[in-house]
Formats: sequence, structure tokens, C-alpha cells
Amino acid sequence: MISQLNVEELIQKTRRYEYLDGLRDLQLAVLFGFSGLCVWLGFQPFWFRLIGNMTKMFGRWAAWLGMLPLVLMLLAVWGMTRLMDYLRSHWLWRKTGMVRARSWVVPRHITLISAGILLGGIAFGFVLRRLGWIANEGILNMLWTATGWSFGYTLVAMGRNLGLRRYLWFGVLGAVLSTAMLFLPLSFALFALAFGLLWFCLLVISGLITWRKAALNVKRGA
Amino acid sequence: MTDEIRNLAKLDRLIHEPSRLAIMAVLSACENADFTYLLQATGLSKGNLSAHLSKLEAGGYIQITKKFKGKYPSTVSALTPAGRRAFEAYRKQYMAFVLGLAKDE
Repeated sequence: MISQLNVEELIQKTRRYEYLDGLRDLQLAVLFGFSGLCVWLGFQPFWFRLIGNMTKMFGRWAAWLGMLPLVLMLLAVWGMTRLMDYLRSHWLWRKTGMVRARSWVVPRHITLISAGILLGGIAFGFVLRRLGWIANEGILNMLWTATGWSFGYTLVAMGRNLGLRRYLWFGVLGAVLSTAMLFLPLSFALFALAFGLLWFCLLVISGLITWRKAALNVKRGA
Repeated sequence: MTDEIRNLAKLDRLIHEPSRLAIMAVLSACENADFTYLLQATGLSKGNLSAHLSKLEAGGYIQITKKFKGKYPSTVSALTPAGRRAFEAYRKQYMAFVLGLAKDE
């Protein structure tokens, strides 16, 4: 039995457990990567042509194929969740035990602030357009930048809350790079792809570094 | 000082025992945890952990689910809504007690 019972430390340790193997970061990376790819694909002429031709050949129901990227994205996230469960139960957490994390990782007020940042960012886009600093498409691109700010803030808050420094760095870096992208002459579709790839890369780096450490720890313990 | 002692007497006895407090603390931070995790997080022996889990289950603070993962049995514990409320109330009472003591000093 632990000699000096520190309740807060026990709570913190359990909450942090979910994020110590980097798999959650990799799952989020898949989500961001696929989201960007889906939006980009949805705006490509060849994709419209393909759906059009399919509709001509197979009837109106073939138009539903347009939803395929979204279904693939959901399948990828579901697949990643299954893979996480498998790796954890058969290898990573086999000796240390399984924990199912709570759905609300950060306190509610953080989620509310994060939503506020997203909405504020979009409003800021309209202000910039009025000032003539960005083009019409910039308002749409601001959607992504504001998502970057909002997600970056959530990562920083999580990092502080759980004592995980990597989330502080990646949260700030992601938010800054999402802002920098706003000044690039990118169409909405390309911006979505670039934004998805940016967060995909950041989260993959964060996930792989953490995963490597966790895997080495398991090997040493075996 | 008498107020503090009175408040201390009001603390939930089922949770106040250190081993059970550790179990409640761990479970409050997640949806559920299995027996192996609770063992390594609390540092209790298997028998001790099992006995304390049974007491918390009897008090209606936790729910224990037993299932099989392939050939191996797995025991998963989770706080019930009543358990979560009781733990939050305990933490508040305990903090108030500690703050009261600090004020007296």
C-alpha cells in the first residue's frame, strides 16, 4: 500500500495513463489527416466527374458515393480505436492493466473557452475581410485557422492539466503554424488539405516519440 | 477546533479508509479500470483489493463487472453515479477540514 496517500497524485496518474503511449495522438492524427483529405477531395473537379459518371451508369443512388471519403474517415478512426485496444490489451497494458478514460479529459470550462476561440476566430475573419486584409476565401480559410487555435488551446490546457509538456509545445506550434498558413495564397480546398497535413504531421511526431518511449519501457519491463 | 472535529466526524467512513480512498481516487479519474490496474496503482495485495472492492460495491459506490477476455477472466470496476457524488462530497469536506485546521494555526 502506498505509504503516504496522495489522492491528487493518484487521480493525475490515472488521467495521464491514457496519453502515455502516444496512441491517442496517432488516432487524432488520422482524424485530422483524413478530414483535410476529405474536404480537398470534395472540391476536386475529377471527383465531381467521377460521381457524375457513376450516377449516369448506375442511377441516382450512386450519388451517395460522394459520401465515401467521410465513411472512409470514420472507418479509419474506428479501425485506429480497435488497433489501440488490441495493442494495449495484448502488449502495452498487459501487465499494468486496462483503463478506459473519461470522455471529458479537460474541465468543462476549457471546452467552453475552446468553442469560444473557434467562434471568435471566425468573427475575426469577418473583421479582417472588412479591413480588406484577406480575400473572400480568407473567411473560409479562417474556419480552419480558428479550428487550429481552438485545438491548440485544448492541447495546451490538457498539457497543463495532465502535466504533459509535449502537448504544450505541439499545441502552441500548431496554433502558430495554423495562423501563418492564413497568409499563404491557398484556395479553401488546398488550405483544408494543408491544415489537415500540418496537424497530422505534428500529432504523428508527438505520437511516435511517445510510442517509442512506451515501447522501450515495455521491452525493458519484459 | 470543535467545529473541525465535528466536520471530521461527518466524513464518509466508507471512503475515509486509506485503501478505499485510493481505489475511489483512481476510479474517479476514469470511466473504469480493471483489477490489474487497481493493483499496481494502489499497491494493495490481491486479497486486500478484492475485499475493499466488495465493501465499496456493497455500499453502492462501485459497480463490478466480471467478464472473459479470451480464456482469461477480467474484473472491471467503475464508480456508480452515487459513488462519484460521494467522492466529490468527501473531497470537499476533507478540503474544508484541512483549510479549517490551517486557519486555526
